[in-house]
Amino acid sequence: MAEWTTYYQNEDEVEGEEGEEGEADVRYSGRDSLIFLVDASQSMFERGEDDEMSPFDMTLQCIRSVYTSKIISSDRDLLALVFFGTAEHKNSVPFKHVYVYHDLDTPGARRVLDLHSFQGEKGQTLFQETLGCSADFSLQEALWVCSNLFSDVKTRLSHKRVMLFTNQDNPHAEDSGKARLARSKASDLRDTGVVLDLMNLPKPGGFDVSLFYRDIITVDEDEGDLGLQQGASEKLEDLQRRVRAREMKKRAQARLSLTLGDGVSLAVGVYVLVRSATKPYPVRLYRESNEQVKTKTRWFHAETGSLLLPSDTKKAQTYGSKQIVLEKEETEEVKKFDEPGLVLIGFKPLERLERHHHLRPAHFIYPEESQVTGSSKLFTALLMRCLERKVFALCRYTPRRNTPPRFAALVAQSEELDKNRVQLSPPGFHVIFLPYADDIRSLDYPEKTSAKPEQIDKMKEIVHKLRFKYQSEAFENPVIQQHYRNLEALALDLLEPEQIEDLTLPKAEMMDRRLGSLVSQFKELVYPPGYNPEGKGAQVKRKSGDSGGGGAEKKPCAEVPEEELRAHVKNGTLGKLTVPLLKEACKQLGMRVTGTKKQELIDTLTAHFNR
Amino acid sequence: MKPRSRIQIWGTIDLSRSAVVLCLDVGFSMSNSAPEEEPPFEQAKKVIQMFVQRQVFAENKDELALVLFGSDETKNALASDDQYQNIFVHRHLMLPDFDLLGEIQILDALVVCMDLLQKETLGKKYEKLHIAVFTDLCSPYSSDQLDIIIDNLKKGGISLQFFLPFPLDVEEESGGRGDAAAGPRQPPYSRKGLTQEQKEGLEMVRKVMTSLDEEEGLDEVHTFRESMEQLSIFKKIERRPMAWPCQLTIGSSLTIRIVGYKAVTEEKVKKTWAVVDARTQRKEDVQRETVFCLNDDNETEVPKDDTIQGFRYGSDIVPFSKVDQEQMKYKSDGKCFSVLGFTKQSQVMRHHFMGNQVIKVFAARDDEHAAVALSSLIHALDELEMVAIVRYAYDKRSNPQVGAAFPCIQDKYECLMYVQLPYMEDLRQFTFSSLQNNKKFIPSGEQLAAVDSLIDSMMLVEGEGEEMEDLFEVSSIPNPQFQRLFQCLHHRALNPSAPLPPPEPWLKGMLERPQEVTARCTAPLQQLLQRFPLQEAVRKKEQKTAQDIFGNVTEEEPSTKKARQDEDEKFHFAGLSEGTVTAVGSVEPDRDFLILIRQKSLPFGQVCQQLTSRVDQLLGTKSTQYYMKSISCIKAFREESSKAGNVELYNSYLQTLKKNVQERALQDFWELLVQDNISLISKDEVEGSTVSKMEANQFLAPEQKPDEQTAPPADDGGDVDDLVRQGMLRNPQTSVQS
Repeated sequence: MAEWTTYYQNEDEVEGEEGEEGEADVRYSGRDSLIFLVDASQSMFERGEDDEMSPFDMTLQCIRSVYTSKIISSDRDLLALVFFGTAEHKNSVPFKHVYVYHDLDTPGARRVLDLHSFQGEKGQTLFQETLGCSADFSLQEALWVCSNLFSDVKTRLSHKRVMLFTNQDNPHAEDSGKARLARSKASDLRDTGVVLDLMNLPKPGGFDVSLFYRDIITVDEDEGDLGLQQGASEKLEDLQRRVRAREMKKRAQARLSLTLGDGVSLAVGVYVLVRSATKPYPVRLYRESNEQVKTKTRWFHAETGSLLLPSDTKKAQTYGSKQIVLEKEETEEVKKFDEPGLVLIGFKPLERLERHHHLRPAHFIYPEESQVTGSSKLFTALLMRCLERKVFALCRYTPRRNTPPRFAALVAQSEELDKNRVQLSPPGFHVIFLPYADDIRSLDYPEKTSAKPEQIDKMKEIVHKLRFKYQSEAFENPVIQQHYRNLEALALDLLEPEQIEDLTLPKAEMMDRRLGSLVSQFKELVYPPGYNPEGKGAQVKRKSGDSGGGGAEKKPCAEVPEEELRAHVKNGTLGKLTVPLLKEACKQLGMRVTGTKKQELIDTLTAHFNR
Repeated sequence: MKPRSRIQIWGTIDLSRSAVVLCLDVGFSMSNSAPEEEPPFEQAKKVIQMFVQRQVFAENKDELALVLFGSDETKNALASDDQYQNIFVHRHLMLPDFDLLGEIQILDALVVCMDLLQKETLGKKYEKLHIAVFTDLCSPYSSDQLDIIIDNLKKGGISLQFFLPFPLDVEEESGGRGDAAAGPRQPPYSRKGLTQEQKEGLEMVRKVMTSLDEEEGLDEVHTFRESMEQLSIFKKIERRPMAWPCQLTIGSSLTIRIVGYKAVTEEKVKKTWAVVDARTQRKEDVQRETVFCLNDDNETEVPKDDTIQGFRYGSDIVPFSKVDQEQMKYKSDGKCFSVLGFTKQSQVMRHHFMGNQVIKVFAARDDEHAAVALSSLIHALDELEMVAIVRYAYDKRSNPQVGAAFPCIQDKYECLMYVQLPYMEDLRQFTFSSLQNNKKFIPSGEQLAAVDSLIDSMMLVEGEGEEMEDLFEVSSIPNPQFQRLFQCLHHRALNPSAPLPPPEPWLKGMLERPQEVTARCTAPLQQLLQRFPLQEAVRKKEQKTAQDIFGNVTEEEPSTKKARQDEDEKFHFAGLSEGTVTAVGSVEPDRDFLILIRQKSLPFGQVCQQLTSRVDQLLGTKSTQYYMKSISCIKAFREESSKAGNVELYNSYLQTLKKNVQERALQDFWELLVQDNISLISKDEVEGSTVSKMEANQFLAPEQKPDEQTAPPADDGGDVDDLVRQGMLRNPQTSVQS
């Protein structure tokens, strides 16, 4: 069942999420791989004066967080951890002072735990006792080992990246031969499509990229010269941000045309920068061996038993007694209005973009020069003018084939960098989906009662006391985190899972302390003595509970007269009754209720009346 | 024929359904119209048809009655000698169905003249009683009982809407606002064009509507046209969203009783498609069977009870029973709306809005203290330009969210607006190269000016403040998907064998740029095109001229000319006319492949590679329907390879596939290949091949044996169970021998 549901749920998701993985670019149909190449020589273990962590500790913490996030977000990616500058060695050649600690594979619980053991003061001591340090390494050999790791993998790799963590800006200063070899090996790697990234860590006196590493790392045309200019990452979060920005290969969901008017089209790539991460789907295992079982599903004809191919079936909907049958292709055709793409309708001032017109997470577009040359320039000009004039572009958006169009606002965003020149927000347009008339519900809102100025002022004081700087990455999803902690515990036979900190819970105590007497002052201003919002709520609850009980008794009374049922059967409108009503009707007529599915109930009743 | 009207009111409130009476004027004048204008009757009919379509296909429980007035005949319960004449109750209150949809089309026959309003209901209970009157007001009416009508409408809680062919404020329209009002969407009516009856009728409408609701009554008078575009009736009778009562908490001791409603959420097509047998059209004939088997050579089947649930944790697979999962999972304390803190509105990015809904939060009903407390918060946030960051959980079973509650202050109400925000796990940090700081892309002043004039010419908002007019308001456009689906269902229900109709022009028109904007922006677009050279990259450019290429191709290769032309024609119509195919997609990979091959914009090898990776992806799903897709892909691959005389890629792909059948558990698929006899391309077929005919035959041979053994049952239609079991047994045999 597992695979079946997985497959179907994925299809559902496609509906909501624009074919998240399904539409992934064909060019990248392999797996991503990433090797962490970590300098383990003495300098990495030395802490600066006011640093809390050594560069080595920072690196391992960072890698560990990549491991756990990969497990959650992209568990098919392959990761490896290689140390160089160790006393011991372990690799396929074998070279001295290069230690392949984790082979290129998907990370599991064990690996996370391994890294955990090297954390902190104790961990470092453990590391030095087991693997040791040595200054007598060759970077060329380390790179060679990485190259071997890539080539030893059986599966096809779409993206290969090495992240080099070090705080020595000129490792082979004394030995120009080694330096030369390293350069040429690095160039070999780059030629085979491996991206070499430098994660430079703090070094007393500053890290100078130009001394050596400039010739080692990949200067990606696409990513500009950001890498070269980056200073050393002083803090763990800086490093994490930097690693995170690079570890994921960005992928376009689709490449579409943005049509401004007749004959004026540029090409854009569509990206998803936010999407809801969910718990993974379960897999089925054989009880005896805990191995994964395969699921096979077939469609066959109930009477002849012959296998049904898609062409042997059609699609149908039933309204009343009428069945309407369409070919499968026709059900697609019905949804088709436009070819995929964005069509500009016009521009509106930004303030006309209503905040409450929200339907689903936004998309992001960025020019695709490779399809239409000149796209980037026109796109940039549009971006600049939209930013300057504070307008958004209104577009008709058809994300995929056979998808009905939606309207979307293209909201310009300019590029933003942090102090280390790591990109915080990329340049491009956010695609904000807008609701149709059907999507907006009319509400019966209560009459307006406005507060008096002194009441508002008191609330302002409360708001003021509880202000904080919201950051979108500040909250972890407690449901997902708990799930993975549980799996981790089971995988590692821990007695109990690591506690998660639920950041979504209000820190009530701290809030109370900060507010002090403000709350009671505010309550005095708005609530009359004796008014208890909680008590009343509870009371209401009980009441509704009571009436709920009454309702439960009442419900069976809401039975449908037989005549009406008959009429429904005749007109085929039984479907308009609710399931409880149908059930009740079955009982009334002395029929055994077997299923809970609506159609089953309807069938039973129809059969009864047509008898 | 003295028109008299009396409204009788029955029934009290039940929670589930609405009763709607559609009151259609079939008077003679309704069929008259200015040239090039659709007669009012036709327009009204369209609105009604659209409405009934929606009612039928949305399967709601609302009941509909159709009352015609101005008819030749009289048929109604109140009719006596001289009263209530020429009013024809065409259909009593009941659930709308196809008959009604059909009847609306016959109505054309019923045309004569007469007057006003009538109403009928059953002794049932309705949540809402609603009357929609469609008239051109040409019929005379008498005002003597107007007050009684109004009184009765009020007492009965009946809502009323008028649908007219012209706007209510027709005089102001034609006189005051000039050009803006005479836009292409406004029908050209003027005060002068109205008859005395119509003018009086307008007064009557005004009077009725304002006395029903002083402030907003006139908002419920619509033109036929706008009602089609804005779903006016549906909005009026649609059911109200469920209330979600809860308590807003700030810290442990400040609590405000609130109630939340879903205000914006994607309305989806509710009914799904059932799979039916193509011949019998019965869904009972189609059955699905799912089995579990071990990943061993024999694909040993295991009963479902012998399987347990597990999860992947990276490379590990962890057995994790449902019971354990339930016990260990994150537990929430139940519904809540708790403030975590407050932050600047500017810190919450619009493009970080998550989830699929917006919730509006009001104070609990009939609790003025809660209303004051909530109002204080709303105004405090509004004045400070801040938002509350809250933890929101719908109920005990649902996952908690973190979201923002914005203050929202309107003339008629104030509330908090809640939107979900992302968790850390939801964000993807992609780095894109710089645009504004990249010398290559910085536009010149001239270029920027061209963009500016485009923006100027394409502004959709005119005027400022009160006078602001929006030429294209998305939130008043109905989702065309529904109308199109209903149109097709309706058509197919009445004409089971006819092909589906094209979308209605007005539906498509609704989605287009307003005409005046199109006219304005032509010149700026031309200018833009001159200032920004846009060149489709080579492959795309060629694709545009694909049609030309066909001609050339056929000339170059006279021997295959005939075949090619036929084929090309087929694909010309099927595919190329539809425009851009740039890669082998997943929907119709074989078709994409053929089109790409014909376009020749990509090298043959590359297209083949795209196809094979798509096939591999499809095969990964292990599902029959994708297997079929893959088969047609491979067939197409084979055919094109033979034609192109380039068989290397195909043959090697097929050989690799065969090698991996075991590993990738593709025995089922392989069997299909064998059945269709899709083998290697041999020397005999294409000269360049290195495969002999015998090799090609043998390539499939080992699998043919077991297939022969099991093939007969497929024809003799024996026992069902037998067949299914044999189907299962086939696999081990093939896999042993492959």
